[in-house]
Amino acid sequence: MAKDKAVRTDKIAAGLTWRQLVEIEACARCGECLVWCPAYAQDPRESICSRGKLASLKRIVKSGLGEEEQKEFLEGLYECSACGQCHIVCPVRINTHELWEQARESLVKAGIPQPEQQIKHLAAIREFNNSFAKPQAERGLWAEKAWRAGLLKEPVRLWKEHTAPILYFAGCTASFDPAMQAVAVQSARLLQEAGIDFSILGPDEPCCASKLRRMGDPGFADAAQQRADLFHEQGIKTIIVSCAGCFKGLHSDYAGMLPASVEVLHLTEYLDRLIREGHLRPSRKIPMKVTYHDPCHLGRHNQIYSEPRSLLNAIPGISLVEMRRHGPFSACCGMGGGLKLAKPEIQKKMSAARIRQAEETGAEAIVTPCQTCQIGLTIGIEAISSCLKVYHMNEVLVRSICPEAGREHIEKAFAAKEE
Amino acid sequence: MYPRPWILFWFFVICCHLYLDYSLYQRWKGWSRGMKTGFAISRLKMPVVRIWLFEVFLQRQLFSLSVTRWLIHQCIFWGFICLTFLSLTKFILLLLSMISLDAGLHDFFSQRAGYPFTKLWGDFFGLILLAGCSGALARRFVFRPVQIVHDQTDMFLTVYLLFMTLSGFMLEGLRMAVSPSGLDRYAFIGRLFMPSHFGIASDTGVWLAWTWIIHAFSGAAILVYLPHSKLLHSLLAPLVIALNAAEEQGRKDMYWPKTRQYGPTK
Repeated sequence: MAKDKAVRTDKIAAGLTWRQLVEIEACARCGECLVWCPAYAQDPRESICSRGKLASLKRIVKSGLGEEEQKEFLEGLYECSACGQCHIVCPVRINTHELWEQARESLVKAGIPQPEQQIKHLAAIREFNNSFAKPQAERGLWAEKAWRAGLLKEPVRLWKEHTAPILYFAGCTASFDPAMQAVAVQSARLLQEAGIDFSILGPDEPCCASKLRRMGDPGFADAAQQRADLFHEQGIKTIIVSCAGCFKGLHSDYAGMLPASVEVLHLTEYLDRLIREGHLRPSRKIPMKVTYHDPCHLGRHNQIYSEPRSLLNAIPGISLVEMRRHGPFSACCGMGGGLKLAKPEIQKKMSAARIRQAEETGAEAIVTPCQTCQIGLTIGIEAISSCLKVYHMNEVLVRSICPEAGREHIEKAFAAKEE
Repeated sequence: MYPRPWILFWFFVICCHLYLDYSLYQRWKGWSRGMKTGFAISRLKMPVVRIWLFEVFLQRQLFSLSVTRWLIHQCIFWGFICLTFLSLTKFILLLLSMISLDAGLHDFFSQRAGYPFTKLWGDFFGLILLAGCSGALARRFVFRPVQIVHDQTDMFLTVYLLFMTLSGFMLEGLRMAVSPSGLDRYAFIGRLFMPSHFGIASDTGVWLAWTWIIHAFSGAAILVYLPHSKLLHSLLAPLVIALNAAEEQGRKDMYWPKTRQYGPTK
């Protein structure tokens, strides 16, 4: 029994990097992570915050934990959206969110699986190549439907038919979720408005697999390499991604897998560039006071803070007010790291807390360039019956540039097609 | 002078040091179970050095989070480092003087013109450490911020440092009582601990010998305690900060944010 425990302990340690093993012991137990943690604020247990998890992980790689302690540690590990706030405030600079993702993977490899809901979700990604368990053939249908409904200026071409200078990567949510397909349509429309020559992979577009990494699936590295090879084989040089999660996947998680010549940009970065260069002009006035929610995957994880704000400031009539927690200190809405699957009630509380912060600013709407955050924030609005509106960044831009491609029009057109 | 069990002390120091070496080796063995990741030395450029100096020696991140905490930590950090430096220097010079390799520095600092400097240095940093430990205890027991963890080992470390500082001052006061000198005024805190201040006139020599034994042996014992205590972060945090700075040196949001304008989660 003791020998089994030692083997498992060594196996878990072997799944972490030497640097992470040093980091586990470097924690000064100051508790700054606890003060800033958005999950701990909703469920104040030591095992939730990084300090508690580091202490448990230290014992795990040293001598293992008892059954109860292990259960508590696992709850804490998965009751974390890996938002990275603790990394920003840690005086020792422990790279916590990377550590939690790696620890999840290491535990799975050692035979300690993720929560049931996450396992099902990951299985769907592996089986269907998307997290919605839908046939890949349906992936590019949004483009066809949008063209037929007159929502686009021209049809969106497939990469295999037209090798364009730019690939637009829509991601699973914008491709399959009927409530979020507007994001893909509007992204395409905005690129067309700027006269950009782009294509999509359509049914050949793979899931970015970043969720595998977030939830510690050991198959991530191979899956990412396959996707990187696909992009390389297709001769893709620039990828524009509208989903913050996919962006983190392609831009950060694939680091070293994609050739250095491949540029991965988030849509907000690219649109900001287009507006600066005069290719895109938000002209219609949108008189509205808004606040901006930084998605963790864009902000803290990839330092994209100024571009989305500069997009909002470029729209006439928009008045941007900041929440107290913004930029690198933006409070997570709880949608990341598989938390929504593992602990939906905590996610709900986290997003409700974020909505309260937004309400404090007196804004009429909260804008975010991430559809996952949009879904999460909407949950928060419903939870506290807030009057605040949640808009995707595309929606605000479209209203100023091409209002005929607004969300309402898209939903109406797509609903009619369904009928 | 007074009797000091040097041979026993050196034996104790060597044993403690060997234990520390063994513990750190065990740690290193534990870390080496992890995956090897490459580290490009070329990343260690000037901005990394700058970040490292600011984060390790000035603890800029702590300053941005809380000025009070920063002040307490700075007092403990600099007090501890400077007193350890003083004790180590004195110890090394003593060893060198035994084989006549100290170039007269041992006498210079312990008896001649350098003596006031060592007294001032020791008392000043002792006072700083004392202030830091008192602040840490006040924070822990009086102000009690939400993130304080009542871990007994953390508490023990603060009490230990406080004990070492006070016993150091006491040793100084007793030494002055046994062999007074015109330079005693430079030990501006130690002289307050002279037994005459407390109306004690018994055999100070015995007290002095025992205080030395307790202070010196407890001081060396920190080598045994270090790898098992919170103090380990004093070795590992600079390493982790350097590794992270090498990777994320360009991040302004990480290294130079205006933290206090945001406020913690509510």
